[in-house]
Amino acid sequence: MRVFVVATLLSAVVLLAILSRAVVGRAAGSARIVLRVSNWGSPAVESGFMTLEREIREEFEQMHPGVRVQFEQIPGFGQYAPKLLMMHVSGSVPDVIALDASSAAVFIDNGVVRDLAPLVAEDPEFRLADYFERVVQIFRRDQRVYSIPLDFTPMMMYYNRRLFDAAGVPYPQRGWTWDEFLHAAQRLTIPADQPGAPPRQYGMYFMNVMPFWVPWLWTNGGDVLDPTGHQATGNFDGPRSVAAMQFLTDLMLTHHVAPTIDEGKAAGVDLFRSGRAAMDVKGHWMMIDYQAEGLDFGVVDLPTNTGQPTTVIYASGLSIMTKSPHADLAWEYIKYMTSREVQVRRVSSGLAISGNRQAAAHYAGTPVEDAFIAAVEYARAPWGATVERYPVVEALGEEMMEDLLRSRAALGVQTELHRAAQLIDAALAEP
Amino acid sequence: MDHQRTNWRGYVFIAPATIYLTVFAFVPMLLAAWMSLHRWHLLKAEHPFVGFANYVALAQDPFFRNTIANTVLYAAFAVPLGVITSLAVALLVTRQLRGVGIFRTLYYIPAVSSQVALSMVWIWILLPGEQGLVNFCLDRLNAWLGTGIPTDTNFLGRPGWAMAALVAMSLWVGLGPRMVIFLAGLHAIPEPLYEAAALDGCNARQRFWYITLPQLAPTTLFVIVTTTIASFQLFTPVYMMTKGGPRRTTDVVLYHIFNEAWQKFEVGMASAQSYVLFAIILLAATFQLWIMRRGLREETLQ
Repeated sequence: MRVFVVATLLSAVVLLAILSRAVVGRAAGSARIVLRVSNWGSPAVESGFMTLEREIREEFEQMHPGVRVQFEQIPGFGQYAPKLLMMHVSGSVPDVIALDASSAAVFIDNGVVRDLAPLVAEDPEFRLADYFERVVQIFRRDQRVYSIPLDFTPMMMYYNRRLFDAAGVPYPQRGWTWDEFLHAAQRLTIPADQPGAPPRQYGMYFMNVMPFWVPWLWTNGGDVLDPTGHQATGNFDGPRSVAAMQFLTDLMLTHHVAPTIDEGKAAGVDLFRSGRAAMDVKGHWMMIDYQAEGLDFGVVDLPTNTGQPTTVIYASGLSIMTKSPHADLAWEYIKYMTSREVQVRRVSSGLAISGNRQAAAHYAGTPVEDAFIAAVEYARAPWGATVERYPVVEALGEEMMEDLLRSRAALGVQTELHRAAQLIDAALAEP
Repeated sequence: MDHQRTNWRGYVFIAPATIYLTVFAFVPMLLAAWMSLHRWHLLKAEHPFVGFANYVALAQDPFFRNTIANTVLYAAFAVPLGVITSLAVALLVTRQLRGVGIFRTLYYIPAVSSQVALSMVWIWILLPGEQGLVNFCLDRLNAWLGTGIPTDTNFLGRPGWAMAALVAMSLWVGLGPRMVIFLAGLHAIPEPLYEAAALDGCNARQRFWYITLPQLAPTTLFVIVTTTIASFQLFTPVYMMTKGGPRRTTDVVLYHIFNEAWQKFEVGMASAQSYVLFAIILLAATFQLWIMRRGLREETLQ
């Protein structure tokens, strides 16, 4: 009996040793370098754009024999940053990641991504001036640069030209005001036939997504935080922000030119995209869908009360993870991906505007594209690019907006904003 | 026993379980206790010792208090309803009917299915309007009976309804395992008790109240305690279906801990929250055991 037990244990140990040797041996025996590249998105979605990106990666492999690019998509945009940060903590990281401007701060301020300035300085082929300065600024801290711009989009006002024509409303022009916007939205809203039912057509589509509605504060001269990014009280609950939120909620609750939360959810579709709302604030990426739907749309700056146009710019860049063992190869990959030739092909899908000036210029010349490109000169970086805890701010902001849209009469805009500002301050002030 | 001999084979047999529990349960528990006394952010190099500051902060945190209230509310409905429904189903399938095995299997299927997949199915069941199964049935009911029940209720988007939906789902998911335990308990009741009762002229309801229920008391206690513990550990359906919303009405403790640790990376605070949850579950289970033991003792004294 005892002999049997010992024999079993011994053979188990020997078997384990053989297995582990086989696994290690296979990894060591391969001369290929694997370059791990991550971005957000679902591998399940197959599109022309994904095929194009795969071709581009394969060409990079052909240019670098012995290198295999392993593409690791992380599904669920909300999970992207947490997942990568956990990989950083665990030490098993992709080499190159797409860094999103709205969550850049947590990566930059915690040393998760590498400062690329030394690589830029040593590389005679590479010129940072080839990229849009305002986009580069988003990823800069003094002289340090943490990401090379891949693509970007300012948030702009889309309008449905067919619906404007049908209502006899002139197309909006750059420099228009909130009053002009509201006037147009009212004329573009078509009430339902029976009383009590939701309108047949809305002047504007609205979703409670703070990255989409934050520019409304800015175009009224308000803001979420003070310029240093530390304090919400006196800003988020300041008179200009309160007036902006009052105006926004009035669009749904008083004028009813935009769908209420329940109407939006019950509709179950993007009302602008389906031609049932005349205006919407969105980024460049929506153009792909709108064109697929055959929508006849125009794009204009957001209406502003300050005399100055403003909006938020969302951008992505390529960064090297600090713990990447292949920094030099990763830099070659970034240079290749952000080069003019590759970028011209990559943004042909209409997803965004290339961060490379020359590639962007390649597509300029249409009124829509020119409106987007012009906006980069005045658009602001999202708060998440500099404030590490901004995801908490956005969660609280959206909660507050939901409360306002459901029960504003009970609490009042000023009270709700003040309460939210205090909660934000508490969240930001934690040591 | 004339002499005691160390049996080394015994240690070999318990070694795998001991190593597993040490590495994956005891060490993490001790580590969490240690971390809960620190301000510990996963991405920061410094982990300063803060004593019980995390626990003090939790006591004053309205959001955390809200999660405890939500969890207690959930358990207050999910536990009694879960126990009653599974006992009722166990009584139904304990009969010797043809095809009863099929029913037992059907009721058990949710327990062996992925909770993520089940949540996806429930999202579809609860959708507002025509696409949702519940609303679709209500619509047919309206057409049939001429009633005017609203059919556009967004169950997962409305405070109150969302919690009710989570409770409803828990009844269905937990049904199988609870039913099996009750079945085992029912089969363990000695047949002569029922025979004697029949001779004394007891009807079915009296047999249930005076034989089945008292004899099942230890089983019921077990089911109540395990269901309570499971209720306090609700996570997957919340993560999949409501994300704690609408308006934090389904933000339960475990989901909150998950966010604290893996979204905000505050593992020190998350560890403190875990220990608060541990204390609550321990208190609840001890209280239930105490109540039931007292009841059992009185029963035997009579």
